[in-house]
Amino acid sequence: MDRRRFLVLLPAFLLVSQAASAQEEDGTIRLRDLYNKDTSFSDLALASEGQRIIVNGFMAPPLKAESTFFVLTKMPTAVCPFCEPGQTWPDDILPVYTRRIVDPIPFNVPMRTSGILELGEYVDPETGFFSALRLVEATYERG
Amino acid sequence: MRTSAIAIAAATLASTAGAQDLVQAQNEWFIAGQGTVEEMLALQSNTGTARNVILFVADGNDVSTNYATRIFAGQQAGGLGDDHVLPHETFPHTALVKTYTTNGQTPDSAPTAAAMNTGVKMKNDVINVHPDVAVDDCQAAVEGRLTTLAEIASAMGKSVGIVSTARLTHATPAAVYGYTANRDWEDNTFIPEGCNQPDLAAQLVAQMNAGVIDMALGGGRAHFLPADVTDEEGDPGLRTDGRNLVEEVIAAGGQYAWNDETFMALAAPGNAPVLALFEASHMEYAHDRTGEPTQAEMTAAAIEALDRNENGYYLMSEGGRVDHANHAGNVHRTVTDGVAFAEAVQTAMDLTDPAETLIIVTADHGHAIALNGYCGRGTPITGLCMDVDPAGEEHTGEPVLANDGKPFSVVGYLNGAGSVMIEQADGSFFGTRPNVTQEQATDPDYLQQALIPMGSETHSGADVAAFARGPWAHLVGGVIEQNVIFHVMLHAMTGGEGIPAAALGALNVNAPAAGSGDPVADDAAPAAEEGAAEDQVGDDAQDAAEELPDDATAEPLEEAADEATAAEGADTATGGEAGSAQPADGATEPTQGDAEAGEEAGDGATGN
Repeated sequence: MDRRRFLVLLPAFLLVSQAASAQEEDGTIRLRDLYNKDTSFSDLALASEGQRIIVNGFMAPPLKAESTFFVLTKMPTAVCPFCEPGQTWPDDILPVYTRRIVDPIPFNVPMRTSGILELGEYVDPETGFFSALRLVEATYERG
Repeated sequence: MRTSAIAIAAATLASTAGAQDLVQAQNEWFIAGQGTVEEMLALQSNTGTARNVILFVADGNDVSTNYATRIFAGQQAGGLGDDHVLPHETFPHTALVKTYTTNGQTPDSAPTAAAMNTGVKMKNDVINVHPDVAVDDCQAAVEGRLTTLAEIASAMGKSVGIVSTARLTHATPAAVYGYTANRDWEDNTFIPEGCNQPDLAAQLVAQMNAGVIDMALGGGRAHFLPADVTDEEGDPGLRTDGRNLVEEVIAAGGQYAWNDETFMALAAPGNAPVLALFEASHMEYAHDRTGEPTQAEMTAAAIEALDRNENGYYLMSEGGRVDHANHAGNVHRTVTDGVAFAEAVQTAMDLTDPAETLIIVTADHGHAIALNGYCGRGTPITGLCMDVDPAGEEHTGEPVLANDGKPFSVVGYLNGAGSVMIEQADGSFFGTRPNVTQEQATDPDYLQQALIPMGSETHSGADVAAFARGPWAHLVGGVIEQNVIFHVMLHAMTGGEGIPAAALGALNVNAPAAGSGDPVADDAAPAAEEGAAEDQVGDDAQDAAEELPDDATAEPLEEAADEATAAEGADTATGGEAGSAQPADGATEPTQGDAEAGEEAGDGATGN
């Protein structure tokens, strides 16, 4: 490989390298690694758009019963920002749209969520919930 | 008998001289201990008048949390941690502070901050109102509002500033400028129908327009903006009364900043107030911060601006998110915000002269945080407890195991989201401790293990510390009630001479006439004479107050000053004594002597 070709490939290599380093040994992704510190999309998020990924996190208390939607948080979040005055969502959350009605998992139990990563602004017509990225066609399990 | 006396003297002389002959006399600990005693012997009490008073409050930063921050800071600097000295730990005077409230063995941040700003303890969840005022009792709060240190400082011609990494409408900063029957009344949407107490955001702006508050830097933007307005970062406002309080400040000649760039672009404020709202809610944790200033940077800006006033200033600077990280059960953010707080203290130390500036560093309350053992020195404070090396100094690198065969972190919580008791499908709680690795435990997002399952870890009623340097700092000693801190600051600010008559006249010491049947007002009737004599606009002010009641009654200020003079441990200004502080009688002029401004702003006018 000549130097010019190496330099051309370098950004792509770094992107893949960073993405790989952000993944756990079991291939899962930490929720926080989908965001940069300023809450813009990380390179990992950009590289994963449209792909099925597995994200570690915690299930925030569901917004409503019998729903196919929940919010994945990087740390246990017991409060419901829609229910308590003055509470706001953290910036770095991951809305999740599931295949089946959500069977809630306690807010402080680690879980893994598998879904297709979508990027782009979206307002849920049912809840009015705004999201900049989300997982769709999702399944989840404790662990 | 005489022989005995000579013998005792000789023995004393011999023991004194003999200290240097002890086998450990050349040990570094021995020598360092001697040096500390020498420094203490050389201490001179500063009994001058404090031109400036700075109150640092790290919310929820109890002794255990302060300890964890000390260890973390020391380890970040490459040491073992234990022997690290935080900036405020160099202060010459220290006290333990009892934080209970009039109805809470476990306090919250509202009455504790209020105790430090009014000299009076009160009920949980209320701010700067008489101890008899019950939570949510709007009318009683309006009638029972107390005078604040900020108002006294302003009446003495000083500038007043507030710095907080929490929302400016949150309890600790709100206690500098406002009063409320419920700490949650941060914007108009929380005010009950028929209640004429202004919300806290409106009170802050009113106090800025009235000239009491000169600088307020923190978070909480949403509470200042209408619901149909989206802020600079895309977040909607919360107000439903149509008021855009940011625009009101700007229209009144004030300056506004919302991120680090606009913060850096602030001009020297002159006589115009400065409002900076860096987040829709709380500012970011230090670990997550981007695009907004640190507490140290905000504190420096405040000191440099307020110091332009030749009469000096009162500044309250809060590290508000130490508390939030403890509530979350996340030690990493607790100590990283603790370090940010310590850096702000150091900044204030660097920018001020202890000869003329009293600095008190304290916390408002404790937390259900606890430290495990036995860990060897150098054990990472956010990680697992590593074993003591019997033959060495640093830990062995092997985690200590509990009876269940699993390691545990140095820090734990008695309750909180990190509980090992997990809710089961049938609603019961059951669990065993996870087997945690050092990598997991030291992850910034890790929640230390807790016992009792709760969504948010709780405060505790345990004492907090207070550290002081500067004029009258030596009054901070022993075990004191939290409201004594107000009296120390007032004593220092007035040089022990009491509030100047001119300033007292400018303060609101206003209440219904004696014999009105109002026990709050009647008890305080004797203290009103001085204020009433200078009243020029009492009736107008009362009329204005009925529309926008936003100012208050006062405690007997001379008594408060006298109490501060006598501040000798817990005997001074106990909850019972402070409970006698009552609103005074008679109408007075608005805070800044400007009735028109008072009417417009809903401030400065008094009445019930």
